[in-house]
Amino acid sequence: MRNGKTLLRWMVMMAVVTVVSSGVILAPKATIAGTLEATDSGAPSAMVLFPVTEKANPANAAMRPAVFNHLIHEKKIEDCQACHHTGDQVACSSCHTVEGKEEGKFITLERAMHAENIAKRDKDTPSSCVSCHVEQLKKTECAGCHSIIKPARGQEYCGVCHDVATTMTPQQLRQGIQGKLSSSDNEALAEATVAKRTPVPYINPNSIPYNVTIDALADQYEPNTFTHAKHLDSLMKAIKDDKLAAAFHNNPATLCATCHHRSPLSATPPKCGSCHTTANYDAANPDRPTLKAAYHLQCMGCHDSMKVSRPRNTDCTTCHKERAK
Amino acid sequence: MNRRKFLTILGSAGVVSALGTAQVAKASGGTTTYPYYENSYGVLHDTTRCIGCRRCEKACQQVNNLPMPAKPFNDLEVTATKRRTTADAWTVVNRYMIKNPEGGKDKPVFRKLQCYHCNDPACASACFAKCFKKEPSGVVSYDGSQCVGCRYCMVACPFYVPGFQYEEAWDPLVLKCTFCSPRLQKGQLPGCVEACPMGALTFGKRSDLIKIARKRMDKEPAKYVDYLYGEYDAGGTAWMTLSGVPHAELGMDMNLGNRPMGELTAGALGAVPMIIAFWPVLFGGVYGITKCKERLVKKEQEKAIAAAQAQTKQALEAAVENIEKTQGVEAAIQVRQALKTAQQPPSDGSCCCSSKHGEGV
Amino acid sequence: MSGSTHSIVIPTKDKMLNLGEFSLKRPGNQITAVILVVGFILTVIRFTQGIGSITNLDDNAPWGMWIGFDLLCGVSLAAGGYFTTVACYIFGMKHFHSAVRPAITTAFLGYAFVVFALLYDLGHPLRLPYMFFFPGTTSVLFEVGLCVATYLTVLFVEFSVAPMEWLAQKFPFLLKWRKYVIKVTILLTIFGVCLSTLHQSSLGALYLIAPSKLHPLWYSPFIPMFFFVSSMVAGSSMVIFEGMFAHKGVHHYMDATHLREADDVAFSFAKAASFILFGYFMLKFIDMIVQANYYYLFSGYGMWWCIEMLFFVLMPALIYAKGARERNITLCRIGSINAVAGIILNRFNVSMIAFNYQLPASERYFPSIWEICISIFVVTLIVTVYRFIVYHMPVLYEHPNFRDEH
Repeated sequence: MRNGKTLLRWMVMMAVVTVVSSGVILAPKATIAGTLEATDSGAPSAMVLFPVTEKANPANAAMRPAVFNHLIHEKKIEDCQACHHTGDQVACSSCHTVEGKEEGKFITLERAMHAENIAKRDKDTPSSCVSCHVEQLKKTECAGCHSIIKPARGQEYCGVCHDVATTMTPQQLRQGIQGKLSSSDNEALAEATVAKRTPVPYINPNSIPYNVTIDALADQYEPNTFTHAKHLDSLMKAIKDDKLAAAFHNNPATLCATCHHRSPLSATPPKCGSCHTTANYDAANPDRPTLKAAYHLQCMGCHDSMKVSRPRNTDCTTCHKERAK
Repeated sequence: MNRRKFLTILGSAGVVSALGTAQVAKASGGTTTYPYYENSYGVLHDTTRCIGCRRCEKACQQVNNLPMPAKPFNDLEVTATKRRTTADAWTVVNRYMIKNPEGGKDKPVFRKLQCYHCNDPACASACFAKCFKKEPSGVVSYDGSQCVGCRYCMVACPFYVPGFQYEEAWDPLVLKCTFCSPRLQKGQLPGCVEACPMGALTFGKRSDLIKIARKRMDKEPAKYVDYLYGEYDAGGTAWMTLSGVPHAELGMDMNLGNRPMGELTAGALGAVPMIIAFWPVLFGGVYGITKCKERLVKKEQEKAIAAAQAQTKQALEAAVENIEKTQGVEAAIQVRQALKTAQQPPSDGSCCCSSKHGEGV
Repeated sequence: MSGSTHSIVIPTKDKMLNLGEFSLKRPGNQITAVILVVGFILTVIRFTQGIGSITNLDDNAPWGMWIGFDLLCGVSLAAGGYFTTVACYIFGMKHFHSAVRPAITTAFLGYAFVVFALLYDLGHPLRLPYMFFFPGTTSVLFEVGLCVATYLTVLFVEFSVAPMEWLAQKFPFLLKWRKYVIKVTILLTIFGVCLSTLHQSSLGALYLIAPSKLHPLWYSPFIPMFFFVSSMVAGSSMVIFEGMFAHKGVHHYMDATHLREADDVAFSFAKAASFILFGYFMLKFIDMIVQANYYYLFSGYGMWWCIEMLFFVLMPALIYAKGARERNITLCRIGSINAVAGIILNRFNVSMIAFNYQLPASERYFPSIWEICISIFVVTLIVTVYRFIVYHMPVLYEHPNFRDEH
């Protein structure tokens, strides 16, 4: 039996080597430029999604096309039907055009890609890019910040996807809009775009204050020592391998922005007390929480959303010890 | 003077100046009734922020010099029992366990109860000695010095808020949240608002609070139920409540309607002058008809009696004449004598009830 | 009638008082004494220890037995005053004449003791007149207070004829006043019916402001009308009801006219009450349909409502109808007991049983034994004062000095 075990180990090793080597050999054949890994489904690894329209568009005016990395999405999803909701694995724009057409129930390309809060169907509720991404924010590791912060729908946000490489010519755009761009051209463009997408590194936790003593309010309780760097570090660890986070957190200080909100992103943000006063009532900003409430809302909001069970919200002395009288 | 103190004073200056300039808004149409004070203040309670720490209760007790309860304020299990406001506790926080629709643990939601300081308060409408008053600042004030102690305000209050000092023999009063009116005058926040560590209580102009509430609901539609309790309920209240679960599950009455409770009695009170004006006419008329009928009946009776009397007289006369013819003059004289005595009325008259009944008791 | 053969003791100038009846060792007197002593002790406790010391009232149930029985029932059961005077003077039903003075007497006593009992319930009884200094004109209670105060005055003037006839022998100037009062009888009657209409209905209107607290089967925008209509029933029924007891207790103070007319009064009032009860039944029934409250009929409260409507409205109406048609005085008296019980039940339902119906049982109100004792005490006081009046004043008989002037 001893020999049998050894034999089994060898066979497993052989199988692994075969799979890996065949992958290495076959991969370049599946892609044009050969820089991207091939997909299991045989679909292009990345593609430019043009705003396809059936109407004449003499001005060639259009949103900057988005580039879709089919490969990494395919890996995340078990069922192609999650996106290809009709069952046919065809391009989105074959039914959903800019104007919408009957095959797509007149759901425009814009809605098909961006609709949120899609009404639940009995089964197979379709999802758009955005609705699926928003759904991801409910994961425990994301929910802490994203229960407080809803990403602003600004230029930076749109540019994450709508970032086709600048090598695209007006000719190509026109062809793309008409749905006439050759697939090799399309894939080359997509390839070029994906190649220049590089994640932005976060601020190094070692470069920020290690502990922060919150003492502006210490009165009934002792000051609280907030393990500042540890908090950032644990947040970073939780999303280390998250490609979605990597794509959208496109500023080194993005993770800081939940607590250090509303001011421009920076490694040296203003203090909480700059805006949150201890004043009783600010007639100009009645909705702005006082400093005390601001701290509690931030800390407890995040802890509740990330299901950090300790400390309980009403266990005051866990965070700040009662001051001796 | 440290920075905090300075900011406190700065903030409060706004309240004071606004209190001074608060003016009665025109009785415009739409959703508000008299007397709606456009610049009045209110408080927004956001139950999604409340953690049930009872700091507000404690502060209320302290700033109003109310007796401390038997169980200390750090005993948070107290919130599990359904409590209402009383003469000794002007605000209470109750815990409601909300069923998780996706299964799993029930979620505790805390809801603070105190006087809602209605725009057109039922208590003020019900008080027959004018103890309650809606102030331009938004406060529903109570003046105990003229309170008769009838407790109709407590019957009228749709929120079960006012409490009565049943154990007090000499000067029992109806007591409820004062919106910390004396503190507002000094530019301080209500005790509970100041004590809230979560910003669950937001003080501000009622009109601002409505905007704030709408903004929060707009921004996070999944977090809030799309209803601002108190915006219109019972004609609108100064204290309003936002919730993440249907308000009815927090023991709040959703069927109060959007008109002030006092309006419900307006119809009945409006009928008073009508009755005073018309009832005398109605009953005077009936009385007149009765009298008229009596007169007619009497006339008929008199006529009938006269006719009968004439007939009898004739018949008697004929009979007497007959006697005179058959039995002689003497017998006739005797008969006439006898008749005369018989016709005389008896000495003590019977009660004749017909004449003066109308006027006498 | 001219005979004066019965044994009525008529106070004379030399002997104004006739208190012998109270000192007789009879169970009635003994019970009265016990109740009055207990009531007095409770009164002392109430006014030195606070309302909470002897009541079960709480913040959810600020109004209990003393309002539900003493005020609501007291006022409606004292409706006999306006009902009888209007029937006799306005509608010209002269054969009710001997019933007028007893009815006014009980009405006056009823209202006087409503105010008396109210003092127990008020936190600041001495401040009762404050409502005239700080009139809260938007309050239904203000209207009630104003009307009751005015009507009590009217009743006092109407009633004053009896004590004046009693005292006239000693104070002859009262004769002149008596004449003035008798001259304005019609005015007082019309004034009285206006005030009665207003405050009888307003007692119901008190509850208009609490739609969320009173069960929908009893809450109605027409509740003032229900209270007014049922007060007519209460008025006529109480005349029969009291007559029954008066015949038992103070029969020997009734003169021949009273005795001769008493049964006729009962039959006429029974007939009237029967009609009004049928009307009242229809009012309540149609209101229930119009407000689409039939869904509630199949709940516990619905059953209770049906019991009230069938056994305390419809049943007395039928008993009265039969009694009046067959001229059966026993049946009419049973009807009156049933009707009076119905009025009390209705007022209890509105003020206590169906009030706060949404609260759990643990937060509901049930009167304490002492509250009930105070209510009994007040009723006993009314009876005692009534007896005093009957023993001294020409209420159930005509005073010989004023016989032909009435």
